[in-house]
Amino acid sequence: MDPLFWTALRLSLEVALLASLILLLLGIPLAWLMAFHRFPGKSLLEAIFLLPLVLPPTVLGFYLLLFLSPEGPWHKLTGLSWAFRFEGLVFASVLFSLPFALTAYREAFLSLDRNLLEVARTLGVGKAKIWTRVVLPLVWPGLLSGTLLAFAHTLGEFGVVLMVGGSIPGKTQMVSIYIYDLVQALRFADAAKAALVLLGLSLALLVAVRSLEAKGRAWKSIT
Amino acid sequence: MEVHYLIRKPILLEACFHIQGFTVLLGESGVGKTTLLRALAGLVPAEGRPYGGLPPERRPVGYLPQDLALFPHMTAWENVAFPLKGGNLKERALALLQRVGLLDHAHKRPHQLSGGQRQRVALARALARSPELLLLDEPTSALDPLTKDRILGELVNLIRQEGIPALAVSHDPALARMADWLLVMGRGRILQEGPPEEVLASPKEVEVARLLGYENLFPVRIGEGGVWLGQVHLHLPLPPWARPGQEAWLGVRAEEVIVVREDRPPPPQNVLEGVLASLYPEGLAYRGHFQGPVALSLLLPRHVQERLRLHPGQRLRVALKPHYLHLMPGQAEEVP
Repeated sequence: MDPLFWTALRLSLEVALLASLILLLLGIPLAWLMAFHRFPGKSLLEAIFLLPLVLPPTVLGFYLLLFLSPEGPWHKLTGLSWAFRFEGLVFASVLFSLPFALTAYREAFLSLDRNLLEVARTLGVGKAKIWTRVVLPLVWPGLLSGTLLAFAHTLGEFGVVLMVGGSIPGKTQMVSIYIYDLVQALRFADAAKAALVLLGLSLALLVAVRSLEAKGRAWKSIT
Repeated sequence: MEVHYLIRKPILLEACFHIQGFTVLLGESGVGKTTLLRALAGLVPAEGRPYGGLPPERRPVGYLPQDLALFPHMTAWENVAFPLKGGNLKERALALLQRVGLLDHAHKRPHQLSGGQRQRVALARALARSPELLLLDEPTSALDPLTKDRILGELVNLIRQEGIPALAVSHDPALARMADWLLVMGRGRILQEGPPEEVLASPKEVEVARLLGYENLFPVRIGEGGVWLGQVHLHLPLPPWARPGQEAWLGVRAEEVIVVREDRPPPPQNVLEGVLASLYPEGLAYRGHFQGPVALSLLLPRHVQERLRLHPGQRLRVALKPHYLHLMPGQAEEVP
């Protein structure tokens, strides 16, 4: 196997892992807010979070490139320039996979029996105990399956990371772009091998997601 | 314990009543029974005494919702230990389970327990936070109809042994029989409260009578020494509020409509002649419909039917004994 493949795969896995962890931290409070609270502008906010689902990845990537470029607002705000860098890839991946994670987390919270939370409160225990003893044990399969879905989605993204990161081998060339470059160079045998690895990886992730979803449903059906 | 609550949402409700021992609140679906219970638990915003303004976690109440809301991922003892603080959790939880007679089932998950057992686990969990008041939402709904009365009787006995006042809301009159104190609720308010025998025997309004199983209810006009039901005059002792010419409601229980035996002299008053329109078994009794100057539903114990051998279509005389006729103020417009 081409050593560049492993470099690209490793980069993709690192970006996906970091993006998934950030999504977990960011997505849980957001999803909780959307599942159980009403506030003005909620529909608009939800629409904005779902936008990456329908927006062409190149359009999202284009705006992100402008946003993260040395002349962009992110640089003015923080002094950091993340275009064509690892950080930019992670930033873009978080935004791009947010709708997937958010939708899965929200479903997990909505499937939680509200009665359990109410009764837990009447039993005189604090919020922290309700979260660790009731909420998390019941929703973790849903949270994990949403995170795995976001991970798999990040692993396969193309348009956004190409716009934001370019295709600098060893630096911002993610595995999906690497395969595209192989095809452009007519190296079909190498592309086929790399594609097969990604196919297997994606399938394994989806099997894990499905079995977690089934586990999440199991508690519901016996309550 | 005296309760005075004002709830504005989701339904406007002002309720002022007492809780004494095992108190049952009867009312139809949709009148706000559950809302009142949830307000007492602090789960619905309300003003009033006791506990007004306190969040649920600071109210000393044990709340058992209709579905009991046992934590499905915990065993019985873990459910009971959930509200406990400090050490020896398992030991203390097991002691509570022993109090409700479920020590043998401590390691089972809720879905492995019967409806009655789940109810007792929920009771033990509520007791674990040492409540001043227990709140039970429709405690009969999760129970098998065949064993309902026995299981409920056991639950009520357990609650009495604990000596904690309890408020149980229900639309099931069967629960009312076990009460120490009975409340009847209509839309947005408490219609009547009192010892169950008093409320059951003399409902104050037609709505209460209907909820308590008075099947024969008629708008009447008060006359001299009795009432006019259409063209029929019925004798009964008039209560002090009754004035001749006034409209009122008359109620009589189906089991208190008496069939006149042809081989005996008829009672002196309130005998009506007509036809037995239908007769069919209802449990061990017989349900009949009498068509005459007044249409009446009647319920005959089987020993009466065995002696009389009534059949649908036959002519029949029934008597309404004055002291079984219950008169309530109110006008015909409030159709029950």
